[in-house]
Amino acid sequence: MNPLRLFVLTLIGGALAFWLRSPKNPKPALEYLRWMALFFAASLILAPFLWLVAAAFKDREVLNEHIFFPPLPWSDKTMNLENFRRLFAGDPSVQGKVYFWQYVLNSLFVTTTITVLQMVFCSAAGFALAKYDFRGKKPLMTFMLGSMMIPSVLLLAPLYEMIVKLGLVDTYSALFLPYLAVPYGIFLFRQAMLGIPNEMLDAGRIDGASEFYIYFRLVMPLVRPMSAAFCLVTFLGNWNAFFAPSIFLHTQDKLTLPVVLNLYLGLYRADYGIFLAGTLIAILPPAMLFFALEKEFIGGLTSGAVKG
Amino acid sequence: MKQRGLAPYLFLAPYLVVMLAFTIYPLLNAGVLAFQQTNGPASRVFVGLDNFRFLLSDPTFYQALWNTTIFAACSVLIQLPLSMGLALLLNSGKGWARGLLRLVLFSPNLVGQIFVGVLFSVLFTARYGLVNRFLHALFGWGLEKQWLQDPALVMPAIIITALWLYVGFNMIYFLAALQSVDKTLEEAARVDGASPWQVFWHVTLPSMRHVVVFVVVTSLIGSYQLFELPLALLSSSNGRGPDNAGLTVITYLYDVGFVTGDLGLGSAVGWVIAAIIFALSMLQIRVSGVVEE
Amino acid sequence: MLERFPYGRAPLWLLLVALASTLAVFVTQRLDAAGRPDLTFATSAANHMEAYREAAALFERRRHVRVSVELVHSRALQTRLQNAMLAKSPVPDLVELLFGDIAYFTRGPLSDVGLVDVTDRLEKEGLKSRLVESRLSLWSSRGRTFALPHDVHPVMLMYRADILASLGIDPNAIETWDDFVALRSKVVKDLDGDGIIDRYLIDLPVGEAWGMNILLLQRGVTLFDERGRVTMNQPATVDTVYWYVHQVEGKDKIATQCGWGQSLMKAMKDGLALFYVAPDWRTHAIEMEAPNVRGLFRVMPLPAWTLGGRRTSTWGGSGLAITKATKNVELAWDFAKLLYFDREELGRRYRATKILPPLKDSWSLPEFAEPSGFFRGQRLGEEFAKLAPDVPPDWSTPYKSRAEDRIGTVTLHAIEYFRAHGDEGLREMIQQDLTEKTAEVEALVNRNVLGKE
Repeated sequence: MNPLRLFVLTLIGGALAFWLRSPKNPKPALEYLRWMALFFAASLILAPFLWLVAAAFKDREVLNEHIFFPPLPWSDKTMNLENFRRLFAGDPSVQGKVYFWQYVLNSLFVTTTITVLQMVFCSAAGFALAKYDFRGKKPLMTFMLGSMMIPSVLLLAPLYEMIVKLGLVDTYSALFLPYLAVPYGIFLFRQAMLGIPNEMLDAGRIDGASEFYIYFRLVMPLVRPMSAAFCLVTFLGNWNAFFAPSIFLHTQDKLTLPVVLNLYLGLYRADYGIFLAGTLIAILPPAMLFFALEKEFIGGLTSGAVKG
Repeated sequence: MKQRGLAPYLFLAPYLVVMLAFTIYPLLNAGVLAFQQTNGPASRVFVGLDNFRFLLSDPTFYQALWNTTIFAACSVLIQLPLSMGLALLLNSGKGWARGLLRLVLFSPNLVGQIFVGVLFSVLFTARYGLVNRFLHALFGWGLEKQWLQDPALVMPAIIITALWLYVGFNMIYFLAALQSVDKTLEEAARVDGASPWQVFWHVTLPSMRHVVVFVVVTSLIGSYQLFELPLALLSSSNGRGPDNAGLTVITYLYDVGFVTGDLGLGSAVGWVIAAIIFALSMLQIRVSGVVEE
Repeated sequence: MLERFPYGRAPLWLLLVALASTLAVFVTQRLDAAGRPDLTFATSAANHMEAYREAAALFERRRHVRVSVELVHSRALQTRLQNAMLAKSPVPDLVELLFGDIAYFTRGPLSDVGLVDVTDRLEKEGLKSRLVESRLSLWSSRGRTFALPHDVHPVMLMYRADILASLGIDPNAIETWDDFVALRSKVVKDLDGDGIIDRYLIDLPVGEAWGMNILLLQRGVTLFDERGRVTMNQPATVDTVYWYVHQVEGKDKIATQCGWGQSLMKAMKDGLALFYVAPDWRTHAIEMEAPNVRGLFRVMPLPAWTLGGRRTSTWGGSGLAITKATKNVELAWDFAKLLYFDREELGRRYRATKILPPLKDSWSLPEFAEPSGFFRGQRLGEEFAKLAPDVPPDWSTPYKSRAEDRIGTVTLHAIEYFRAHGDEGLREMIQQDLTEKTAEVEALVNRNVLGKE
């Protein structure tokens, strides 16, 4: 009977206790079980992060000794900021030393710009596909959907060729231009907007509103939850994107976070300490964004209700 | 909805420009390549349907297809219901605990796939890894299970990792969709005596159907494009795993196209994969009965 | 305004952050330094960077040119090179490639390889005889060499000297694999009585290819020959698989899989396995990553398959290639020679990376004879240098990873068979499976119409 089994039995026992107290009313027991299930799921999800936090602060000497934290008391030898110090020490390059904050800034720039651009262009295109009928709509939609299915790995080489021809190698435009509007986002907004009643749009038109006004002032506020979800997902996808930036960006001081961090995982030797410390820091901006966005797609948003 | 002049085209203009400039050419290129064998710009040989013939007779391709299909099935059938369940449980905004739980469940998406692969390759190690230790402590079994070296356990390991990673992801979409569900309809059904499950199945879910379709289709497409995760998890064998147990169709494509170097064959693989995904998506959309508005 | 922004509150914030960071990036990104460098060199090995930068600085001073050394992730570098072949886009003048990466470029006609053919240069400048010749096999195709070898990577075994001593085992008495396997009775034990064996003899993988590869190479079995023909189906292959199965499976097994990283370090500390396969790069990696096993290990050559046979193998390698796109081949070649073959440089390089260079006359430098505190005073440089001339060739082709993969599959199938049926019919099963899998590799090789000369 080890501690873990004891713990699990106690949990189940708790549920039984709730139920036995009032056998006719299972609600407290169910509520208790629901919270236990959520708690269990949450701890499963969190355990790897605990490992991350522990590993980022562990000194190299003891990194491989203990799975999580070294036993208390912690001394300078076991837990320190050495990994972070090395992380912030800077990399030499042709242009001089490049420091960690530069990569963070680059990542922030690239990610927020792409997210904002896609937000605008994808919602516009999605709106067109959801609320209009026009010649060529069906073929366009089929093509769009189909283009999502071609493995992107395959399209990278010809895309690179184009980028070279346009003289955009090693520029940020190479990361923006091909991805101004992506089928994934367009599809998302289309689906979100399908549920908006056409009567509302027609009412707007009768009132003399332009199509753009309808899109911008009437429809977009109604899909704010989905916009928020899209922003979050797009931000994350680009924040952690590795492949495209690693190929299109060459100069050291232009690189984004994932590209830089993965350089520490070589084939012969993996410098886990720096990699993990950097990863820990890289989690912070997306986490902050999540907190900021949370209210948008959780209950409580008054202007989102669609009536009738 | 009638045609409203140029408006739709204007809204679509940015996408059309991008598409014409950056998507059409690569697609055409990949199309032509599929019928050739290549080695750089100078040497290309037209081989007709030979790439497809070889591909469809290669047992490794079928193994990759099988692995990927298993993964896709588990994604749609296990992951999505879990995501939906979590979204329902966490729907109300009250209480800081719920907010925290939402963040926690979503948090795996804050990190990149490469980190997740590295992380889980550590967690899955035999004897010392957390997963085995946990299983051993709870059930007294599984200390020596070689998750990433035993062909039978590799796909389950990948599925578990993907589950950890994505269960909170689709939860977000479902949460957003739940906002647009008309509460009065739900109330009415409840007053009429429907059980919670019936309310969900007959009122809530249909109101969310557009988003559900989106999530299912993109999950399916995403599953078939699984590449970075097994690559990071099984880095020592370049994503293939023992006995190709972790081989996905994209890893197979990468192998024939970029390791053995025949981009022509790689393109052929790409088109076959696209065709399969397309067929499955169409089937799935048809089955769910939600084609258009 | 904030609440009424149509896209939502957070997208507004994102917009503001985007604008701010755009400004910041404009300000902080340094405009490109004066002109393009004369030579660009890209490598993916972070641990070589320090040494390479110093060499580059030296070259800059000597020749009054500008050299830039970039660190690029190996996959990104590979992709860039591959795309450059198609797109004719700018590529570095010199690239350091990992073993296997060069195969992509050698699949077509020799004239189409995007890297400079250095075979004649090596011959004419007398370098070829100064190098461990078998190393050129990793970087050659159809008799022409396209990159300079960086290393030799002879393979030894590192072992827990303290435990071996306490068990009364003399490592010098182990001369063949048979001697090695015979140690089983003394070593493999369940130490704490919980039914799980706590001490094995050696760390060998089951799902990874390196175990079989190293042993096959040691026996002189290569998966392809120097002209790229498939040679993996040999009696020696069957024999090695048969032997391997018995060591990793069954009640008489001597091997367990210790993995990499944290779990490997723990295994080493706990003595889960006493012997570990150790090329020179691994001894260095262990020294860097596992300070807690300092002083516990020593190295010894691999046991031979037959008495007096080869006692080493090889594992991995990097090479330096000059891209055909370079504007100044002579300059690049001179820099390459400085990077890899400058004798005095190599001594200092060895001290930093502990990787044995292929230049034979550099091994007499004092740095190679320095005793290693980590390995109980053994002179690792000398030990590896002794085995280096004997390192087997390993011919590279685009299909090598496929072939290795198939060998791995045969081994796995054999293990399953052994588990179910024991020894009976095992050899026949292995031979049959091997023949099948060889045919699969041959099918892929034979359909390549471009590579036929």
